[in-house]
Amino acid sequence: MTEVAVPPAAVRVALTGRRGGGSTIDRARRRLFVPFVGPAFILYSILFVVPALYAVWISFNKWAGAGPMDFVGFGNYVRLFSDKLFLRSFGNTLLLLFVVGLAIFVIAFALTLVLRDMAGKKIARSVIFFPHLVNAMIFGVLAGFIFNPGGLVNTLLAAFGVTDPPPWLSQDNLFPLIMVMMTWITTGYFTTILMAGVDRIPPYYYEDCALAGANAFQRLRYVILPLTWDVFGTCAVLWTISSVKIFEIIWIFGGSSGAGMPPTQTWTTAVYTYVTAFSGESVPAYGAASASAVLSLALVSVLVLLLRRVMKREAIEF
Amino acid sequence: MTSTVTDQTTRTLVMPPQRNRPRPRRAAIGRDRSVVRGVGLVLLWVFVVLNVAWMVWMVIQAFRDTRSILADPWGLPTSLDPVNFVTAWTVGDFATATMNSVVTTIVSSFLTVAIAAPAAYYLSRVENRLTSSLTMYFVLGLGIPAQVIVIPLFVMLNEVYLTDSLIGLNLVYIGVSMPFTVFLLTAFFRSLPLEMEEAAALDGTTAFGTFWRITLPLAKGGILTAFVLQVISHWNETLLALTLLQSTEKYTLPVALISFIQQQTYSGADWGGLFAGLCIVVLPMLVIYLWLGRRLTEGLTLGMGK
Repeated sequence: MTEVAVPPAAVRVALTGRRGGGSTIDRARRRLFVPFVGPAFILYSILFVVPALYAVWISFNKWAGAGPMDFVGFGNYVRLFSDKLFLRSFGNTLLLLFVVGLAIFVIAFALTLVLRDMAGKKIARSVIFFPHLVNAMIFGVLAGFIFNPGGLVNTLLAAFGVTDPPPWLSQDNLFPLIMVMMTWITTGYFTTILMAGVDRIPPYYYEDCALAGANAFQRLRYVILPLTWDVFGTCAVLWTISSVKIFEIIWIFGGSSGAGMPPTQTWTTAVYTYVTAFSGESVPAYGAASASAVLSLALVSVLVLLLRRVMKREAIEF
Repeated sequence: MTSTVTDQTTRTLVMPPQRNRPRPRRAAIGRDRSVVRGVGLVLLWVFVVLNVAWMVWMVIQAFRDTRSILADPWGLPTSLDPVNFVTAWTVGDFATATMNSVVTTIVSSFLTVAIAAPAAYYLSRVENRLTSSLTMYFVLGLGIPAQVIVIPLFVMLNEVYLTDSLIGLNLVYIGVSMPFTVFLLTAFFRSLPLEMEEAAALDGTTAFGTFWRITLPLAKGGILTAFVLQVISHWNETLLALTLLQSTEKYTLPVALISFIQQQTYSGADWGGLFAGLCIVVLPMLVIYLWLGRRLTEGLTLGMGK
């Protein structure tokens, strides 16, 4: 069975060979460096890289946004880890990252296998991709209607004779609901990416499988998984990066839930950062807020490096 | 193992399965008929239907008044009177917000692509140590979450009086979008054939002329994709807009929606108006998706596998 996964002679476009181009052309092109790359480089550096570095610097200071900065070294970080609110937010971020991430991957992969050769695949695929293009906030607001006491879910349950539905929107139940919602709106996107990977597998591998009498599981194990492994890696990196940013769906989840700030049970590090710096209710603590943001950046970096190491395999060309 | 394999192989080869109805050839090979697959199919279609249903439901509710929505969330509107849209447009001040969003989105997306395309072109055509480290430098930005830069950006823009300003917001969007756009377009330019450019260069066209008159027209598709992807992400961007804008007349749609929801905490809920607001945010995305759907999914999945 194993030889099924071994690709035929790798057809590879030798990119380096194509780029010779002749030295005159290259020299002329090189003169375009400043006008072509310059503007992008400057804007990106000033508006993205410098702020990111500045954030690291702020995180080592105690600062209310105005007045002098007070260098405290790792003080902000130490304080964060004794702050219950931060630990809870950080825990929620991890829950989103790992639990929702795992759910998304299992479902998306299962959907991919079902979608692979079914009728109406194009329509199904296009429909489930759409939520990715909608502001996640919308789903947060809608959840308020779907789950409110006289809302869609409860009236539906009542029709099935459930008279005592759980209080969906109570503060303790909000975060699990957010996790379910996130799974729902993100699965379609990752299914599309995985599909793109599965679609690249040439059909003769499946034909070979059929001839060799491989069952569905063996086909999955020896053909589909090895050939889409790199796509899985990319998806994992993408989810790591985007899950840490989740903000707006939480900010507004359940509609108008009160004081203009979500209940602390649902906070993530992004929300923690925003509230600590801009809530307007207490003295803004830019240092602590930046430290929280820098920690989420550190989390992303560590995980992405780990993922790259774990997912690294001999790339299979086909 | 070996024996069963040979066994089945022989059987397949020797006795082609007799079927009552003719089936397409592919189906006989790729498809399993199992219970698991049946369940999967049902769940998939439920998922698909749910994904359409929420939108249909949202649009329907936008035509009903608050009291009837609360009385019966499954009901249908009695008329197609767009009163909720009028309320949202005037009372909720979605008119200004929509204007701001449209202008900001289009201007910032256009400038993003206009600035990123030449850079991506250069990075894809000239290969040396400098360009590969520059490409890396741009790509690194993909991993930085927005909350990291939001505080420094606020402080920095405040210094130059660009907070609470749409110009400031546009600048921020352009800077923040560079990594993705440069990354996407570099991958795209790499996929274009080089022969025409070489021919043009041999004919004496300048390097800039080659880019402007040969590569750009060839790359129209990819550039449009990059532009529309930016339109979508800038239209939906919330955290930066929420932080950088303070006065109502500067709000973009997501911020206006948040403030509309928060007002309702005090003035009593206007669900109908809120649904109309949601529609104003969602439906333009739907139109774009229906128009360019396939291209967008390809754009978002190209470059990913590499």
